[in-house]
Amino acid sequence: MAELVGIWAASHTPVMLNFPEAIPDVDRAAVFAAFRNLGDELKRAEPQTVIVISDDHLHNFFLNNFPAFCIGAAAAYPTPVEHWLKAEKRTLQGDGDLGAHLLASALEGGFDPSFSIELTLDHGVLTPLHLADLADKIRVVPLLINCVQPPLPTMARALQWGQLLRKAIAAYAGCERIAILATGGISHDIATPRMGAVNEAFDREFLRLLAAGDDAALVRYATEHVNEAGNGAEEIRTWLVAHGAAGSAGFEPIYYQAVSSWYTGIGLGRWSMERSLKRRP
Amino acid sequence: MTQRNWRQEMPTTEAYWMDKVLYQVHHQASHLERYRNSPDDYMRDVPLPAPLKAAIRDNDIGAMYLAGVNPYLLRAHCLGLGIAEPVFLQSLRGIADKSAEGGTHG
Repeated sequence: MAELVGIWAASHTPVMLNFPEAIPDVDRAAVFAAFRNLGDELKRAEPQTVIVISDDHLHNFFLNNFPAFCIGAAAAYPTPVEHWLKAEKRTLQGDGDLGAHLLASALEGGFDPSFSIELTLDHGVLTPLHLADLADKIRVVPLLINCVQPPLPTMARALQWGQLLRKAIAAYAGCERIAILATGGISHDIATPRMGAVNEAFDREFLRLLAAGDDAALVRYATEHVNEAGNGAEEIRTWLVAHGAAGSAGFEPIYYQAVSSWYTGIGLGRWSMERSLKRRP
Repeated sequence: MTQRNWRQEMPTTEAYWMDKVLYQVHHQASHLERYRNSPDDYMRDVPLPAPLKAAIRDNDIGAMYLAGVNPYLLRAHCLGLGIAEPVFLQSLRGIADKSAEGGTHG
């Protein structure tokens, strides 16, 4: 059965690619170095497939049919879907078998995701993979959460999804080594009057609560305070999925910087597998 | 800072149609070309009142936000049309007071 060999989380924003020069060189170098270090860590874990937990920013999904959760089950994913994103066109290798297994496990476990074998992934997946030098080196299974169009799934449900993933990975016979990369957040606003106002206090408290490992306090804080952190902060659902997959244990922040000129609280973190494994699926 | 992340908890019908214009313009190359050639012609058969069509045509970002356009579609629209970041931000900050009065709810 498969082993969960590592879990990471990282922010994403298209301005990292479209307007990298918007922040001082020293700050940009530090952020990009943090992504490369994350990528190096992930590569050392030698996963055969990485489950990338992100959101679709109204490209594959629209108001005619908007899933709360969608699992990708394709053999390949073209990217990026945005014609305006400053990133080369490429195709990410997929793992349709693992995607199908996660889908079946979810349905069996009382979850009702949609699925797709025709996704053109956006900056939410591509940006962290590109900056971490992973885009051409891993197979992916995207799990896309609606963080962009209310009504949104609850924070508690996101944590439950992580718990489901943990069990599903442990029961998978199709490969031996699987990792998770969650991406989004932390505080930021997209196209609102407060765009650029990063809520560093929210971000640091969220990171503290992840490390504290108290599920009830974490979910309560995320639910009650996300409106103080911006519509982009709704993407912390991806971090909660990762946290649930880790058994709510072992979180370690890697990097944080409030980067107002990129409009975003940029955070990266990992979950220690040593501490996570002490919790049974 | 406003204390709600979303202008509308469910899109109104008008917001839906504005969203649909922005979505289609940026997901089919032929639509972007038609829109660039003439926004008025492109939106001729879209069931929106004239002021909302004008907000789209005139790149009145603040007005589109207040009307409930999804902020991610709004952001992508401005990036896709090459609207300068200072113009984009200024338009949004210019309606901060109106935004604080609260959104409409579908």
